[in-house]
Amino acid sequence: MTFYSPVITNAAEVAGSDKLHLFRYVEDANQTKIETYESHGGYGTWRKVLTTKKPDDVIAEVKASGLRGRGGAGFPTGMKWGFIPKDSPKPRYLVCNADESEPGTCKDRVIMERDPHAMIEGMAIAAYAIGCHLMFVYIRGEFGHCIETVDKALQEAYAKGHLGKNVYGSGYDLDMIVHSGGGAYICGEETALLNSLEGEKGMSRIRPPFPAIEGLYACPTIVNNVETLTTVRHIMERGAQWYRTMGTEKSPGSKIFSVSGHVKRPGNYEVELGFSLKKLIYDPQYGNGILGDKKLKGVIPGGASTPFLTPDQINVGLDFESMTSVGSMLGSGAVIVFHEDTCIVWAILKLIHFFRHESCGKCTPCREGTGWLEQIIRRIEHGGGKPGDIEKIEDICGNILGRTICPLGDAAVMPIQSAVKHWRDEWQYHIDHGKCLVPTRFEFV
Amino acid sequence: MSTSTTTQPAVKMVTLTINDQSVTVPKGTTVLQAALGAGIHIPTFCWHPKLKSVGACRICYVEIEKMPKLQVSCATEATDGMVVKTESDIVKRGRKAVLEFILANHPLDCPTCDKGGECDLQNLTFAHGLDDSRFDFLKRRHIVPGVPSTFDDLRIGPEIMLNRNRCILCYKCVRSNKEAFGEYDIGAFERGNAMEINAAPGEQVANPFSGNLVEICPVGALTNSDWRYKIRVWLTQTTPSIDIFNSSGSNILFYKEDHKNRIFRTISRRNDEIDDGWITDVARYGYQLVHSPDRLQKPLMKKGSKQVPVEWEEAVAFVARRLAEIDDTKGCVCIGGLASPTLDLDSLHSFSKFMRKVIGTNNLDFRIDYRSLPEKPDSAFSTLSSQPFTIAEIDTSDVIFVFGSDLVKEHPNEYLRIRKARNFGRPLVYSVNSFNVKSADVADREFIYAPGTEEVFINGLCLAAIEENPGLSGADGLKRKISPADLNSAAKTCGVSAEDLKALARTLINGKKISFIVGDQVSLSRDREVIAAALCNLNRLVGITSRGQMAALARYADSIGAEKLGLIPNPHPDVKRALTDLWGGFPEMAGYHTEGMFSQMLKGELDAMVILGANPVAMYPDHEAVAETFEKLDFLVVADLFETETTAMADVVLPLASWTEFAGRYVNLEGRIQKAERAIKPLYESKPAYAILADIAAAARKPLFSSAREREEEIEKVLACTTVRPWPGDYLDVRPPAIDKDPAYPIMLIIGDDPHHRCYVTEKAASLVKFCSDAYIELSPELAEKFKVEDGDAVRVESKYGKLMAPVKVSRVLEGDVVFLPRNFSVTRANSLVSRKARIDWVRINKVSG
Amino acid sequence: MKEILKALINVFLKMPQGFVVTLKHVFKKPVTLDYPREKKPMAPRYRGRHYLERYEDGTERCVCCGLCAAACPADAIYMEPEETPNGERKAKVYEINLLRCIFCGFCEEACPEEAIFLGQEYEFSDFNRDSFIWRKEDMLVPHPRKDNPFKRIIRRVRRVYGVPDAAR
Repeated sequence: MTFYSPVITNAAEVAGSDKLHLFRYVEDANQTKIETYESHGGYGTWRKVLTTKKPDDVIAEVKASGLRGRGGAGFPTGMKWGFIPKDSPKPRYLVCNADESEPGTCKDRVIMERDPHAMIEGMAIAAYAIGCHLMFVYIRGEFGHCIETVDKALQEAYAKGHLGKNVYGSGYDLDMIVHSGGGAYICGEETALLNSLEGEKGMSRIRPPFPAIEGLYACPTIVNNVETLTTVRHIMERGAQWYRTMGTEKSPGSKIFSVSGHVKRPGNYEVELGFSLKKLIYDPQYGNGILGDKKLKGVIPGGASTPFLTPDQINVGLDFESMTSVGSMLGSGAVIVFHEDTCIVWAILKLIHFFRHESCGKCTPCREGTGWLEQIIRRIEHGGGKPGDIEKIEDICGNILGRTICPLGDAAVMPIQSAVKHWRDEWQYHIDHGKCLVPTRFEFV
Repeated sequence: MSTSTTTQPAVKMVTLTINDQSVTVPKGTTVLQAALGAGIHIPTFCWHPKLKSVGACRICYVEIEKMPKLQVSCATEATDGMVVKTESDIVKRGRKAVLEFILANHPLDCPTCDKGGECDLQNLTFAHGLDDSRFDFLKRRHIVPGVPSTFDDLRIGPEIMLNRNRCILCYKCVRSNKEAFGEYDIGAFERGNAMEINAAPGEQVANPFSGNLVEICPVGALTNSDWRYKIRVWLTQTTPSIDIFNSSGSNILFYKEDHKNRIFRTISRRNDEIDDGWITDVARYGYQLVHSPDRLQKPLMKKGSKQVPVEWEEAVAFVARRLAEIDDTKGCVCIGGLASPTLDLDSLHSFSKFMRKVIGTNNLDFRIDYRSLPEKPDSAFSTLSSQPFTIAEIDTSDVIFVFGSDLVKEHPNEYLRIRKARNFGRPLVYSVNSFNVKSADVADREFIYAPGTEEVFINGLCLAAIEENPGLSGADGLKRKISPADLNSAAKTCGVSAEDLKALARTLINGKKISFIVGDQVSLSRDREVIAAALCNLNRLVGITSRGQMAALARYADSIGAEKLGLIPNPHPDVKRALTDLWGGFPEMAGYHTEGMFSQMLKGELDAMVILGANPVAMYPDHEAVAETFEKLDFLVVADLFETETTAMADVVLPLASWTEFAGRYVNLEGRIQKAERAIKPLYESKPAYAILADIAAAARKPLFSSAREREEEIEKVLACTTVRPWPGDYLDVRPPAIDKDPAYPIMLIIGDDPHHRCYVTEKAASLVKFCSDAYIELSPELAEKFKVEDGDAVRVESKYGKLMAPVKVSRVLEGDVVFLPRNFSVTRANSLVSRKARIDWVRINKVSG
Repeated sequence: MKEILKALINVFLKMPQGFVVTLKHVFKKPVTLDYPREKKPMAPRYRGRHYLERYEDGTERCVCCGLCAAACPADAIYMEPEETPNGERKAKVYEINLLRCIFCGFCEEACPEEAIFLGQEYEFSDFNRDSFIWRKEDMLVPHPRKDNPFKRIIRRVRRVYGVPDAAR
């Protein structure tokens, strides 16, 4: 019995579109079964790629498509694959990063639990492109049902001969291992993920060397997000030119956005990159407006680790460049909406509590800084704020930003910095009066 | 076999600018190392020159042009044309910020912290930090449950205290333990802000290198309990010295108080050619035996049946008179001498001159715990043990072959070197032994040959090499000289498969640079001549020394020195010539070596012995027989630090000064002469051995040296002679002797040092006793299961020669019918089980019920 | 003749003048003290003989960190630390050689635990030199003491650890 989480998606729209592809079959309860998947042409692309194409052709195709990583950083996928040293005698590994734990993000989970074969097929193609014979999928520990679903899909794929020794008689061996994480946010960072996969403590490694040169077991390793790898399958099915018809010039393609928070219709929506953020929040087909028809206070556009956008900034396209131009980031595409009755100090306290709890503790600024910030913000929230606390917060944030091994430190302070910048008066009121300017009143969906 | 010299590819150099200073370094160097090399200081916490960089502490920020963020210099590789600033405003602000973060939760308990005064954090805060803290919350505190103390100190090992509040989480302890020592008994637990360092669950941090963790801790989180609350560091003076418990001679520093004649602790004095800054716990805590209350305080003389304290003059005059009497009545042939190879060069040379010039005998030796030696002037083993060996060469070797050695116990520094070589390069490491050893964990493969088949194994290796490469010179000649002469029967006898032998031979043939270490299982074997001959054949066949090094490593701190000074009856001809020139003569008689002296004593033909710093009754095989032998002596004079089994039989016992109490020089296994300075004045009335010998000689009216300078000049002249013996010109005969085995005694006994002890003296060091206080029978889990014993159960071990009882320790490494017994404890003398005649000591064990 | 007259004037006129001055001073408040029966009150910050403070529960404040000895310009302080059964640090030996001490007060300044103070007492005399070496027992204030002037000293160490005073 497959667990089927009740997530709202725009599958109907995707099915009707000739471009959007990721969510085409996600509302089909049988899609996890390999027969259904194969009936939709599943694994045909993998067979075609393996039997007719050279690995370099695959890399070239992905490069041509302009696909950028969907995990948060938006690094061009084809370029990443090209970093694998050609002459290294060591084995190569592909790791699928399914440790989706960014607050607000739940897109990979939908793919894994409703269309796992697409991910496996995408991984197989990517593995072939980089010459890897053993690939891993590192699934977040809390996603027990996803692990089951992917594991079952994997068994089916093996049984049908899509994986294993001598796939399709081509002489190419490909194995896959499903690995369950221990429930650490930091393991979504690629080097920490590799450490965790090796059995070490989940702590990020210093770069360089980059994983593409020296990753898992000191061998060349490519780490890609679930959505990225699934997209690879579709690009190889329909070609780079088709993919480029979607999205913008520099950010082609479509992407899943997880809309959450104070919207009437939270859910996962696949839209083309460059889609208007305002439309995503207010369009009845997507977010359908703010809960209780209140005013919008702010939006975190790319998961908890990206800076806030204010209501006057939301008329912007959801793509990597436009987001940077308004001072935020596309991140993993988790749009978190706050309405006017949200105390920003309260919201930030929740965020910093999360980051303090999830800091791995390896490097000093993040380990000590997040703890310190949480203590200050908690003090402010509970009415004990002191004059100068705002400046102290800004200073500590400045001392963490850009000074840590991995981006977790940056992720923790960027929303705080933007929140202090946009709503400074609210912080000041909290410190002066010991209570919220806007008392938080919520009713969740 | 071509003698191809490996040409290193030319190292590419890069030039960068640091603070307007142009620095050229090899490619691959980090910015930090480049700066340190140019004399520019960059603060660090988590960086250690011998460990991989992790970039955890973030204090080593530098500003690099064209890079938007501050970079950690410890993990940034220097590239050509890089422009680095280490003292710009933004760097200073970054440093201040990191120090503020570190200090946010670091307690202000410097007054009670033993690290105060030598603390990196203290120094860096003083140099770079803020005056005040903006952190106005309660500091994080890791409370030790059940201890009514505000200090939160936790004992995590016999000698290590942990205070987690002070820890700044640089992970140097965890990393060095894992990377450098291969131990996993300390680790980081929890996550983020709550993270803590602690001992592994249920474990104690008690590995043989655990003291180093304390030494590299940048704050007072890990402290030594031997130094705990003793003295502030600024009240101490340091004295450079040498570790004399180890033949590598690690460099150490003693700390003593200004006004007191007392050493407080030892730390390492990094010497990259020898120890890399890591020293063993024996070296670290061994100094404590100097301050043991059991030290001999005054000379003792046997009056009646009791030894009574006497003055030095009386004792010295008596010794001189008695030796003269025996010389007159029975001749100098009847006097013999043994000197410990842990004595310094001055003492050893004085001893040599005293025996040869003053007494006129050639009965002297320094090999105090070997089995019987066939004394031939150019024996194969002398050749093997005199070969040059360089510790640092291990780093760059691509094949490392450890034959018959448990390195952790015998040569810990070399063990760490091999581990380092494995961390930074990819050498092939093979460990070959007759039983499983701990040090095999650095090896790619471990091979176990059947007990007593060392030479068969080496023969098999030769035969496999011939099979691999039939073109090897003289293959037929070799085949005629060895037996068994075919690979399969050799493989069958030694228990290592022919394929494995071939694989080993292949790596030896193809290796570009080989380090071949021969250990105690060969050096201490009865048949070491045969094994050494086999090894000589192997070298001749494969040409190991033309592409690397191969030697039976010296076993004690000054073994090579003793060898070079000719402290054996039949020294190297060059040495003999030099001594003859210096002294104008050399005793005519052939002289007896240790075993020879003992048999002469037993026959009643050797009446007097002079023993310096040795305890043959406890260390030489066959306790009972040796004790019986010593009882036959007319006159025995022993100089030692403590009362031992040997001093108990002596007519005169002289208190010997330890190596900390006078300046001495020692020759390590590489032949490197190192000096140990005088740290403290001799305690009680003890004297250095050379002073004692000079006194006795003066009392006999035959002064040894006119001045200290003369002694030094003599030593220099003798040391100038080379003692490296050439490899034999032809293949040697290797016929394996028969191994006698009595089915009543089915288990092989291994005797050696405990990893925390050396010889018979370290049980007087209080800290080392905390690690291991009593003898134990270490046996494999299979045997434990067979005899239904667990840790702590008493068992009786019996051999044909003796029996003893000891508690069981179930081993983590041993497998099969093997037991290990440490020889370091006076309560249980392991040598009582051992025979001088047998090649392998077979024992049986049974459980003591009740 | 003239000299004789001068002498007479001196005797009968000037001398009484002098006696008057003396007599006046008899009724004035004396400037001297009747030491040792009477003692001059010292300035509040006078640096006299040292004493060692205790916590309110009687434990010694001194942890034998050695900073006073390091700060001492006269090298008058000698100390040896020891470990208490529950792992805390305290002085086994704490000696001040009052003959060497120059009463500069640097030890007081240096003390991080606020344990050593220079008190008001200034009478040092004895019959042999050994008795000028004051031991820890001689300097520790008695416990319980009747009035503790240092009650309001900031408990820095405790604040660092966040231990309420009652916990001791």
